[in-house]
Amino acid sequence: MGGALVYLLLMRLKNTLKSLIRSPGKLLYLIIMIGLIVLTIFSGNSSTKGPDHAFRDIREFNAVVTALYTVMFLIIAAGGFSRGGSIFSMADVNLVFPAPVSPQKVLFYGLFRQMGLSLMVGIFILYQYSWTHMTYGINYGTLLLVLLGYGFAVFLGQITAMVVYSFTSSDERSRNLVKAVFWAIFGLFAAYLVWRVLTGPEASIQNLVTAANGTVIHLLPVGGWLGWAFAGLGTGAAEGLIGLGISAAYLIILVCLVVFSKQDYYEDVLKTAEIAQSAITAQKEGRMVETAPANVKVGKTGLGGGFGADAFYFKHLLENRRSKTFLVSTQSLIWIVVSIVMAFFLRGLGVLPVFSATTYMQIFSVALGRIVKELTKPYIYLVPEPPLAKLLQNLREGFLTSLTEAVFIFVPIAFIMKLSPIDTALCIVARMSFHLLFTSGVVFIERIWSGASKTYAMLLIILVMIIISVPGIVAAILMATYCLIISDNFTVLCSLIVVNIPISLLVLYLCRDVLQYAELHNN
Amino acid sequence: MLSVKSVTKLYGKTIANKDISFEIDDGQIAILLGPNGAGKSTLIKCIAGLLRFKGEIRIDGHDNKSIEAKRLLGYIPEMPAIYDLLTVAEHLEFIRRAYRMEDDGYAQTLLERLELWDKKDKLGKELSKGMQQKLSICCALAHRPKVIIFDEPLVGLDPHAIKELKKMFRELKAEGATLLISTHIIDSVEDYWDVTHIMTNGSIAATKYNRPDDDKTQSLEELFFSITEGVTQ
Repeated sequence: MGGALVYLLLMRLKNTLKSLIRSPGKLLYLIIMIGLIVLTIFSGNSSTKGPDHAFRDIREFNAVVTALYTVMFLIIAAGGFSRGGSIFSMADVNLVFPAPVSPQKVLFYGLFRQMGLSLMVGIFILYQYSWTHMTYGINYGTLLLVLLGYGFAVFLGQITAMVVYSFTSSDERSRNLVKAVFWAIFGLFAAYLVWRVLTGPEASIQNLVTAANGTVIHLLPVGGWLGWAFAGLGTGAAEGLIGLGISAAYLIILVCLVVFSKQDYYEDVLKTAEIAQSAITAQKEGRMVETAPANVKVGKTGLGGGFGADAFYFKHLLENRRSKTFLVSTQSLIWIVVSIVMAFFLRGLGVLPVFSATTYMQIFSVALGRIVKELTKPYIYLVPEPPLAKLLQNLREGFLTSLTEAVFIFVPIAFIMKLSPIDTALCIVARMSFHLLFTSGVVFIERIWSGASKTYAMLLIILVMIIISVPGIVAAILMATYCLIISDNFTVLCSLIVVNIPISLLVLYLCRDVLQYAELHNN
Repeated sequence: MLSVKSVTKLYGKTIANKDISFEIDDGQIAILLGPNGAGKSTLIKCIAGLLRFKGEIRIDGHDNKSIEAKRLLGYIPEMPAIYDLLTVAEHLEFIRRAYRMEDDGYAQTLLERLELWDKKDKLGKELSKGMQQKLSICCALAHRPKVIIFDEPLVGLDPHAIKELKKMFRELKAEGATLLISTHIIDSVEDYWDVTHIMTNGSIAATKYNRPDDDKTQSLEELFFSITEGVTQ
């Protein structure tokens, strides 16, 4: 690799580390993130100290890991049919591509950089220690192995997308052919799983787990290979090396395809570099990018109602309709699926651990809600309506979305965990109470620290949401310990509802003039 | 009429605007001219009620954060304020509804003048940066504001839109509207201005009037460079 590219790689790494140390906000953020990882380790370890603690079948965990790798690979690799790989930034496109350096060296520079970024994408895995240790006895070394496999799956997905785009972007027929083959391969494996589930000797879930740990699924491109490698290496079995070897061979083939078959790959990465750059620019300008499908179906036009402040509400309904894939946004859909999968694997522990995990995820869904997006545009401040009316109309859509999400999460969970109708309804209402609570947290932050930088704002949102959740959680623990009513579920959920709602309403009342005093989010 | 009295804006210890005062009468066009980082956009955002500040800003005698002032104000931001998932026509419908106005066809006129009517069913995210800027201008003018503040309005516009917008400036002035236009490109400021405030380091360094009896010995460009670079051309 050229000396200049090595210099560029090292300087970018060095400056990233320096910026962490020099910026108190980023450093604090890092410390808190590390603190939360340590907290999950303590909470996970303390929950498994009993002598009779039994772990679930580790093959279930291997199946989840294989599914995670497969989904990530599929999503990223399929991007190659519409745009190229995203291993280069706009700065690379403008400065490195025109430089007198060979395209092969530039490619390896991009690959090295992408490896690091792929690992960073999977950091969320480190926060899964508590439940994975509690349920499957996973230690931290194994979790790091999951992270490495995840990074490799993402990395291979990017390179696959780049290769697919390189070879098919200029020819519609070849693109359709490769697309058909790509989906046919994964379709065949999916059909195999369905067949095994329906015809296997055990209950359907056990059949699924057995099949996911079997030889056929181990041959599933990338997800299966890496899942095989993980399952083998995690237990010290040499067969894991086979999965790893196949993945490495696949990478070498892809790199050879780019290097030897088509050297002019610059055009193929330009589109994603531009998309990534526009997202970075939007963030710098304080704008939030809509999480909408690539091809939005416009459908019926017009707001359909609203006059004065409630025009915001009708606008939000219209925006929601266009950003949704299936009644809820893609992001919510992912969270809903994750919650349901989690409920399946934690079904022996009752609904409360799953409720806690979904509530944790809810922090992020509220923090990325319509009201937060609206605060980055001037209209919410400019429209000549009373501040309280504008605030309430901008919060209105969030409650509908929250109710839909709650129903989508807890009705399937009720079937999986065999919850009573009352417990199910209480879960839905308690989730709504947390939506109200977290929303009041967002409004509180706007009232006190509006205009804070992106790093500080996210940190503040997480901190404030944790702090305002404490009274409800403490009340629930005290009630469950000293004053149990009907059942654990009933006592805990009712306590949360009874405490969360008044706190939320009080905060919202105290911050009712927030739009009069808040500053436009525009850094 | 727009009145700015002793406005100071601090970001922590950094002074973005320091004790700024001026007035713009009805039917006047005022220019805020200054180099990058002079504090023009910050002042514009303070006037629009988007930032907190010390001092007093009045729009037709109303406090700038009051509902009455908001009703009279139009604001065109430097970065186009567009919703990705609304069509061009829906942006105008949203503004009309939010400002409690009936559809009298004015929105369509604005879109036609800026050559956006044929794009009325396109989503905000499908527009180019220049088209987004044009839409942002239409949104700001749709409720017929009396005081209009433009933050770098000509950046990114095509020649037709620039010509049309300059024509609109003159029309709005003739109708008695108050206009404040911020820019750092001297060439974009032609002879349609009544007063220019030159800003440096968060303060107004000089004010020049465009009146028949005003001093003509120094052009606006010469005055600008004599202040910003200490050079007399």
